[in-house]
Amino acid sequence: MLSRPTTEQIVLDCRAELLSTIDAAVTDPAVKIAIQMMENVLRNCAERAAHEIAWMREEADAMIAFAQRVRAVSTMTDAARAEIDTTLDAFGSGRSDSLHLDDMTATYHLAGVCMSAALEAAMASGDSALQVAGREVLQLRLAHEQAIMGEWSFVGRG
Amino acid sequence: MHDPAVMPRRLASFLTQHDGDRTATVVAYDAMVGGYSRLMARADIQWSDGTTETVVLRGDPPPGKAMMETDRDSEYALLRVLGDTSAINMPRARHYDGSGDHLGTKCIVLDHVAGSSLQTILNETPAGERGGHAHDLIDTLARIHSIDVDSLGDALPRPSGWDDYLSALIDRFRQADREHIESMPFLRFVAAWLDAHRPPPLPLRVVHSDFQPANIMVGAGGEHFVIDWELTHIGDPREDLGYYNVYSSALGPNLFMDDPEGFLQRYRKRTGFSEEAVNMQTMAYFSSLAAITVYAQVLRGAAAMAAGHNGGLMTTYTLNALTIGHGNFMAGCLIDNGQETA
Repeated sequence: MLSRPTTEQIVLDCRAELLSTIDAAVTDPAVKIAIQMMENVLRNCAERAAHEIAWMREEADAMIAFAQRVRAVSTMTDAARAEIDTTLDAFGSGRSDSLHLDDMTATYHLAGVCMSAALEAAMASGDSALQVAGREVLQLRLAHEQAIMGEWSFVGRG
Repeated sequence: MHDPAVMPRRLASFLTQHDGDRTATVVAYDAMVGGYSRLMARADIQWSDGTTETVVLRGDPPPGKAMMETDRDSEYALLRVLGDTSAINMPRARHYDGSGDHLGTKCIVLDHVAGSSLQTILNETPAGERGGHAHDLIDTLARIHSIDVDSLGDALPRPSGWDDYLSALIDRFRQADREHIESMPFLRFVAAWLDAHRPPPLPLRVVHSDFQPANIMVGAGGEHFVIDWELTHIGDPREDLGYYNVYSSALGPNLFMDDPEGFLQRYRKRTGFSEEAVNMQTMAYFSSLAAITVYAQVLRGAAAMAAGHNGGLMTTYTLNALTIGHGNFMAGCLIDNGQETA
């Protein structure tokens, strides 16, 4: 396959064309707003294309490590431990090392289910160190989302 | 509404039929920009008796193109009953095409308000001159929260009580996580945090649920007309305070942040709510909680798109609103460990 220019470069090139050629030829306010929105979506897509596999893998590792840490806490209720066990089992049997996007998103989803169960258990435990650790994993996820989002506003609202 | 070329003729026929005596001619018809969830258009009407007027149309986007799904039948019923109570200034709901047979989609015809949105006015107002607008905004919000819910009949469902209502609202985070096409760990974290930090109760009131300056039209005399009631429900009035805070933090300017204590003091004075119930802590709490109504709608649109049932630029563009929501959740739900809440 052709790997260069990268997908990110190609999408950003389309975005530049949209702004320089198409936007310049348009006067309709509704279409102008649509172009601004498309510009933003293309920028989001370029960032995702450049990083999403690596970011999903990084986050999945962090989410599973957190779930395992919560699972090991002795004060966890039986119900919480059982739910985490179930989600970790589902992750173990359903995960894949494939880097194809569909496989990666499926693995990422299963890790997220583990994380959700572990976070709620950590909040119920009253263990603030555990809760802070959970927040740190969420902050990693948020940082990636915000990098994809870039600068964003409600275009056209007013 | 999906085909602007035929709308002048269809709208003229619809208005003429409703009037009964006069014949309407649509002399101008233009799509309005800025509406995110519904299609909006403005039409200038010439009547056969020589009078003229402007109306606004508010209709559903084509199937599979909506960023959120809400019910026009319910919205029109609410607009009619709110209009009858005269408790709050709003454009009068004139007519409704509930089948879409006349206007091409379910569509409400409203009075047009001559003026600008408060958002537009704020965008043009220097930071040091916004105080009057803050007062007006608070007073408008307090008026919404002072509407007698008994006067609305059965236009809105009535929760059985505050505790059950709050539990159900918090559970919507878990529900959103369960129903979404991929796991969203933020949601159960927020739900658990909100459950553990419940505020004192308040009487259940009308909650606009999308209370933001873009949904307030300002008339020639400075009076406010509140629009876009599609998400309105009976709930905790602090939801609107919290939503306003997170929305305006994202779009700016945030009149609450200009003078937080003064903002809340005026709101308490106008509503009669206590400082125990309305303060900086409860504002932070509801800033995390209140976004769930709009958040869940956007999330549903994303799930529908991922499943191939929905599409359109508005759906993809507003995905970033979910990230804004996640940022707000994280900012509000701090851990009591002596560091984060210090």
